[in-house]
Amino acid sequence: MTLRVAIEGVSFWASRLPGWDVARAVMRGEQAPPETPSARPSPTLLAPTERRRAPDTVAVALEVAARACEASGRKPSDLPSVFASTHGDVAISDYMCSTLATTPTLISPIKFHNSVHNAAAGYWSIGTGSLAPYTAISAYEYTFGEGLLEAATQAVCEQRPVLYVAFDIESKGALSTMARSRGLLGAAVVLAPANQSQQQRGLILTTESVAECHPTPARSAAAPLVAENALAPCLPFFEVLASSSPRTLCLALSRQMALNVQVN
Amino acid sequence: MQSRPLRITAYTLCSAVGDGRAATLAALRERRSGLSANDFGPSPIATWIGRVAGLEAQPLPAEFAHWDCRNNRLAWRGLATDGFIEAAREARDRYGANRVAVVMGTSTSSIGASEEAYTRLDPDGQYPADLRRPIVHTPHSLGDFVQHALGLTGLSVTVATACSSSGKVFAQAERLIRTGLADAAIVGGVDSLCGSVLFGFNSLELVSPEPCRPFDVERRGINLGEAAGFALLEKQAPSGAWLLGYGESNDAHHMSTPHPEGLGARLALNDALKRAELRPEDIDYINLHGTASQKNDEVEAKLVADLFPATTCASSTKGWTGHTLGAAGIVEAAISLLALEQQLLPGTLNLRAPDPACGPQIQRDNVQREARHALSFSFGFGGSNCVLVFGRDR
Amino acid sequence: MSATQSAGERELAELIVTALNLEGVTPAEIDPEAPLFKTGLGLDSIDALELALEISKRYGFQLRSDDENNVRIFSSLRSLAAHIESNRVTA
Repeated sequence: MTLRVAIEGVSFWASRLPGWDVARAVMRGEQAPPETPSARPSPTLLAPTERRRAPDTVAVALEVAARACEASGRKPSDLPSVFASTHGDVAISDYMCSTLATTPTLISPIKFHNSVHNAAAGYWSIGTGSLAPYTAISAYEYTFGEGLLEAATQAVCEQRPVLYVAFDIESKGALSTMARSRGLLGAAVVLAPANQSQQQRGLILTTESVAECHPTPARSAAAPLVAENALAPCLPFFEVLASSSPRTLCLALSRQMALNVQVN
Repeated sequence: MQSRPLRITAYTLCSAVGDGRAATLAALRERRSGLSANDFGPSPIATWIGRVAGLEAQPLPAEFAHWDCRNNRLAWRGLATDGFIEAAREARDRYGANRVAVVMGTSTSSIGASEEAYTRLDPDGQYPADLRRPIVHTPHSLGDFVQHALGLTGLSVTVATACSSSGKVFAQAERLIRTGLADAAIVGGVDSLCGSVLFGFNSLELVSPEPCRPFDVERRGINLGEAAGFALLEKQAPSGAWLLGYGESNDAHHMSTPHPEGLGARLALNDALKRAELRPEDIDYINLHGTASQKNDEVEAKLVADLFPATTCASSTKGWTGHTLGAAGIVEAAISLLALEQQLLPGTLNLRAPDPACGPQIQRDNVQREARHALSFSFGFGGSNCVLVFGRDR
Repeated sequence: MSATQSAGERELAELIVTALNLEGVTPAEIDPEAPLFKTGLGLDSIDALELALEISKRYGFQLRSDDENNVRIFSSLRSLAAHIESNRVTA
């Protein structure tokens, strides 16, 4: 079975690759990455009450979600969405565990209500007023591939465009030795069913065994900049999108299964 | 591409009322709640909980020691009930280990293990040796464990959308099967008691000091519970109940308060009925979300009163199990399936005086009557809504 | 016209801005007599819970969410500061 989707918008954010234009140029070897890391993006589409509560996960996820929608020309409120993160808000997990170990009755209500894995998705839907369904998933090291497959599946099944957002943040405290991740990284694409889009750029997705489809390593100058983030497995996909020529890559879906992605 | 009905060829649940379908049915028939005074953790807050007994003394089998933690012990306990593992293995052998997808719902997964680690850090601030297993300190702990425990090798995902998680897994699995990415799916969810949810919901003042009273005019909030539940979905089978449809939406309103008109819930409901090709009059039983929070029950009662005839029976079963969060979807789906199988529609425990928003649909007492179609509602924190439609074995 | 803040009011204003991560307003700019909730600073019920927590940590007493005087207590910086002053346990 084969899923065919068009790519309508792409976005990317890391502190030394702040935006798809910069990231693409670095991946193509056309420019060196900025020396100075950028501060986390400010989620301007949120009302002040939500904006001041937004943790790093929400800031980076909403930034890439908004930019991908802009690039696609689609209204955010029209798009169902898939939010994927390996470890979720691992900084709040550290806060929860530390506070529970010492003064459990002093848990911050705001931090708790931000601790749900679907916080970024929830803030996105509130900020955009979108009633379209969202999901929030994790699949450990296979998160990016599983999320891409889920977004493409929804686009084809429901015959409508879908927003796919993936992100991971820096882990803190003792938990950082178990859930390893450095820096902030977010990336998003808007996918549409192939027969509904004018876009030339598309994906053909099939599942294969890992023996037939070895996960593609990252190769560009961007790789060292995000290698220590839990979502680093997304990078080969964006490196292929950065190049203009058709290429195929493999993304791991499980120990035995991989996603073959033909990008035209 | 139209969504297609799927057969549910096996299902099970394990909650505070007991392990498995027969034990759950007996508790429903006998109006026997599984709630007990909170005794979880070193300084328990004053509330009632739905606790599954004995997990502390039941480590995972040695071959799965890598995944050992309360949440996965509860998962294993659920899998080992009602012959579910055997049914899953039989499906694996029939379709192929990479053709049976695993889609699991949870809210906190095994964060309880991380909480425990933080109480026993070594002098260098490192995790104690017995907890240095990264897979239990990440959300996909549940999906990864279930895939391994069942010897499956294909797609495996953990969905964490708070209280709608293990309702949405049914929808996700239907799409995987429809597109041919899988031939069958193990869906379900597990959530276990932990400090994060007890003290977290307490900080939002959503927790009741007494046994919860869904839809009661004097309700004082939720009781938290833990549970595991699983279902095996197949494209074709000679028998089994049906997943006829589903609807998903969100409220786009507030992270911890539902939309006051239930706007998102209504959209999810309409979508579900449309997929199932049913009308409100066709629905015999609704298992409501009914958490006993002020806002949820008010909005939900009004929605039911507005949209369904008096012939539809509706209830919340959280007075039996507590609010099992990421497992609520599957637990209440399983209860809905039991209701259709047994033609026994459970009522609502601890309901003395119904909130004025309630219409005639919301039942206090159990009702024994013919039933062909049931809905299950899950409306989550962060505004994520899911409605499932089930039909009897025909 | 905004009235001047007392020392206690300034300290509380700093707590509010920090605890709620308020942007676009400094502690000194909070009018002690303006509403805190809905209008004025525009805080909501989750903010109230968060503030109650921070106040209990700093001043050692619990603000009760079922206190019938809450609407008055929380009506402005001045009224909240006065309530803290009469109830604080820590110096």
